[in-house]
Amino acid sequence: MKIVACFKVAPEAEDIQARPDRTLNFDRAQWKIGTYDLNAIEAARQLGDLTGGAAVGLSAGDSELTNAKLAKDALSRGLDELAIIIDDALPQAESYQTATVLAKAITDLGAVDLVILGAGSSDAYTQQVGNQLGAILGWATLNAIDSIAPQGDQLIVERLIETGVQVIQVSLPAVLSVTAGINTPRIAGMKDILAAGKKPITTLDGGALGPATATVVSQLAPEQVERKNIIIAGSAAEAASELAGLLKTI
Amino acid sequence: MDFRLNDEQQLLVENVRTLMKSENWDAYFAECDAKHQYPERWVKALCDLGFDLIMLPEEHGGLDLGLVTLAAVYEELGRLGAPTYVLYQLPCFDTILREGTPEQIEKILAYVGTGKQIWNSACTEPGAGSDVGSLQTNYTRRAGKIYLNGHKTFITSSAHVPYLVIMARDSESPDTFTEFLLDMSLPGIKVEPLEKLGLRMDSCSDVYLDNVELDESDIFGTEGNGFRRGVKDFDLERFLVAACDYGWALCAFEDAARYANVRVQFSKPIGRFQLNQLKFAEMAVRINAMKNMIYETAWSYDQGEMTSAQAAMCKYFCPTTAAEVVDRAMQVMGGISVAGDHRVQRIWRDLRVERISGGTDEMMVLTLAKGVLRQYAV
Repeated sequence: MKIVACFKVAPEAEDIQARPDRTLNFDRAQWKIGTYDLNAIEAARQLGDLTGGAAVGLSAGDSELTNAKLAKDALSRGLDELAIIIDDALPQAESYQTATVLAKAITDLGAVDLVILGAGSSDAYTQQVGNQLGAILGWATLNAIDSIAPQGDQLIVERLIETGVQVIQVSLPAVLSVTAGINTPRIAGMKDILAAGKKPITTLDGGALGPATATVVSQLAPEQVERKNIIIAGSAAEAASELAGLLKTI
Repeated sequence: MDFRLNDEQQLLVENVRTLMKSENWDAYFAECDAKHQYPERWVKALCDLGFDLIMLPEEHGGLDLGLVTLAAVYEELGRLGAPTYVLYQLPCFDTILREGTPEQIEKILAYVGTGKQIWNSACTEPGAGSDVGSLQTNYTRRAGKIYLNGHKTFITSSAHVPYLVIMARDSESPDTFTEFLLDMSLPGIKVEPLEKLGLRMDSCSDVYLDNVELDESDIFGTEGNGFRRGVKDFDLERFLVAACDYGWALCAFEDAARYANVRVQFSKPIGRFQLNQLKFAEMAVRINAMKNMIYETAWSYDQGEMTSAQAAMCKYFCPTTAAEVVDRAMQVMGGISVAGDHRVQRIWRDLRVERISGGTDEMMVLTLAKGVLRQYAV
């Protein structure tokens, strides 16, 4: 089974600072593999181990992706190889443009049985790319997947829904977006890190970026308010009642 | 010298950071410290990442990544408040590989990856501290066996290690000093743990040896090798002590800096008061000096050039200097540094012990001064 795990390289959330005018400052932010994408990589590795399959990493982004350390970071987490698509316009691409580029890459890779994505990228978190990618490829497409198990030439997956858990038999090829709780991404050991530098990396042509259907006009941090330093005294019942009253006024 | 870490070293450090963020290890350390308990679960997690392979040669399954790499990992662990002093045995397989018989090496390396304590040296006795040559523990040959008798004290890790390397003198030839790899499960060994001010997650015990029966194959190294084995290994241990101290100073400094930026008194963060700013300037100078000394010495070690004087310089400078940093950090943090359960209290206690264990300040001065003066001998 050939499994592709998609990931996006994004600024580390805790390093992003809001300026006084609420615009975002990325100057001190390290570029890292998206937090939720780590679940996709881990799921691909685990399924690869269960089926004897290969786990291939796939990422589309700007020249930041040529950073050797980033590639080693991805490959140390259990991927057998890595494919990248470089286009300086990709970080600003909307989800459908990204999905289109990924679909072409997956077709070019060939013989892909399964594509796994995280719940969303750690910067835009639109949660759209997986479903759009599946639609473009015309493959079985599911999101909110919380468990994947092989069964013959199919998969049995569990999908979280508001009222419970759906258990679904999926034929391959398929595109699955997994939850943040599907697994605990491994912390790569020292041997894995050293081995990562020896794994193959392929650069693919993503083709021309199609027209965007929407444009981001501005991106601002939430408005900050001064702390009010209100201390509520009294018994627990009284304090809870007063707190509830205060919360309703916000 | 270029101390920039390469990609692999940076990833090692980042992954150690991820491990440290993976749960509230601080609470675990506080619990272990209070109970005088070795933090085996944490050490096992580090070994799962390959920590004990960093200095192990490749022919023994290790990665042989060098002391600069290890220093960077110690720096990060210390910065995040980890009790790096419990890790000394894991980078120090060199002694075992150099002096041990194939059987002894196999016994010790069987513990690699387990996170368990493996071995330690036992020299100190009630009447033999810095003057280790006055030790009284002795061995006697009788009917094809060797019998050990004596009393060791302040023996680090001895409550939980499966092996101790014991130094003893020949009862027939008192100037002959020999070491033995002692299986701690043998009859005749009694271990009595001691209470300690700091470094509580590693045991410190009296070890009583009453006619402990050994075989010739239990000799560690060559009979009569005396203190020659230990001298070489003391240098690495002294460096590691210093690396721990530097890391903890960094931890206290960062805790204090974060606090000073948010603690408001007289309508402004206390970091804006010049009396506190002086403390941060003094702390920063000291941290920078320790950092450069640690990395330069590690680099020298990796080039095969670290001297005993360099190791002694680290061991002399870092515990005292780190204590000066921690003291200032505590002054900045005020009440929360002395009441409650802030980790800086543990670090402060641990650092006081560091000036004594692994060679006192005074012994470091002797080694350092001898090494310095030797360079100008005519």
